[in-house]
Amino acid sequence: MSYKFEIENLNAWFGSKHVLKNISMNIREKAVTAIIGPSGCGKTTLIRCLNRMHEITPGARVSGRVLLDGTDIYGEDVDPVRTRRKIGMVFQKPNPFPMMSIYDNVAAGLRLNGIGDREKLDSVVERSLRMAILWDEVKDDLRKSGASLSGGQQQRLCIARALAVEPEVILMDEPASALDPVATAKLEVLIRMLAKDYTVVIVTHNMQQAARVSDFTAFLYLGELVEYGHTKDIFENPQNELTEKYLTGEFG
Amino acid sequence: MSRLIDRGLEQLASLLFQMGELADKAVSLSLNGYIEDTSTYEQVQGLSDTLAILRDEVESKAFELIARFQPVASDLRILRSYMKIAYDFARYGRYALDVQQIYEKLGGLKECEDWVKESVEEMSEKVVSMIRISIDSLKSHDADTARTITEIERQVDDMYFKYLDSLMEKAPATNRCTISSVLVVRYLERIADHAIYICESIVYLATGKRVALE
Repeated sequence: MSYKFEIENLNAWFGSKHVLKNISMNIREKAVTAIIGPSGCGKTTLIRCLNRMHEITPGARVSGRVLLDGTDIYGEDVDPVRTRRKIGMVFQKPNPFPMMSIYDNVAAGLRLNGIGDREKLDSVVERSLRMAILWDEVKDDLRKSGASLSGGQQQRLCIARALAVEPEVILMDEPASALDPVATAKLEVLIRMLAKDYTVVIVTHNMQQAARVSDFTAFLYLGELVEYGHTKDIFENPQNELTEKYLTGEFG
Repeated sequence: MSRLIDRGLEQLASLLFQMGELADKAVSLSLNGYIEDTSTYEQVQGLSDTLAILRDEVESKAFELIARFQPVASDLRILRSYMKIAYDFARYGRYALDVQQIYEKLGGLKECEDWVKESVEEMSEKVVSMIRISIDSLKSHDADTARTITEIERQVDDMYFKYLDSLMEKAPATNRCTISSVLVVRYLERIADHAIYICESIVYLATGKRVALE
């Protein structure tokens, strides 16, 4: 059993607003961890603290420690850009680069890192699109614009783009909220497949999605970690009354 | 504001309460008939059939609620427990019918010695009291009430094995009496087991803990 992240007393603020309060939790490597909770509970802020994106917002501040493979990503000599390179992120709304082709979308990260070798690019693009379960649908149209794809395909393209730079962690912020049920189902299959090789942390407001795809579930409420454990236990027999009430729809 | 699933859960609870009443009636009628040397076969058969139908209704309704609402936490535990309890109630009815079938085929306790009659009567009373505990704990969803069943179940088990030992020692007057009473006592012991299962379901429903009350 090994942990990809060890989060210790993490606090986060937007200006004077205290949005995450003393979060301590460990995130298991090569597993899917879901963060659930009502709107405004701090779910998105929590994952944005895992790749140092929270601090990009003006007035935002973080305290505490987030160990990635044992090293504090908030340590003084840690380069946030290098940290982010290990951690891919997928957002609520698919955001392929609209002026780029499917191929170039996936190759963009590698080119930014100075890789221009055609053979290498071809092979990474194909491998990434295959891993994102998109290759068969786009292999004959790689020069078409990424924006021409359906919403579900665009989201998988964004995942392929993230995979191309060989991250270790994939953070997903409500990745299916703009997708129809069929595209959502495909994405969920993909998430499970990714967990074989990557550590996946997914924020979702869809509790059933958390129940379907995750190995572990954390319930946040008003910036505090209320309950965290195996998804089966959280959904069958939550120990905290707040978790029980949220899951059964008594509030939220 | 009540939730959409609540109406379905209330309907299920109402079906189960109905099953509890019918199961209690079936077992009591069957055992009283057997002990007092009167056939209640037809009434018990009607009750047993109704219980089987209601069990199917509970299962269908529970599946509908799962499909519609994807219940979790206590809602999920309630559905799982209710389906199990509906089965146990249907088994009460089936064993009640089995007792009456034995009466029809082999007769009751008329030709038995007094100690046999007393044993069967005493065990019957205990088993009916277990059925009532199982129904009460269902109505209240109270794990503490459910747990009180363990002591009576132990007594029923003791009676069952003591009875078998006594049979071996004393050998009642006729073979027919022996066979009849042994079968009935065995059914009583099985009914007691189902009462235990119901109470285990109630403890699970109320606390999330899987316990063995035997």
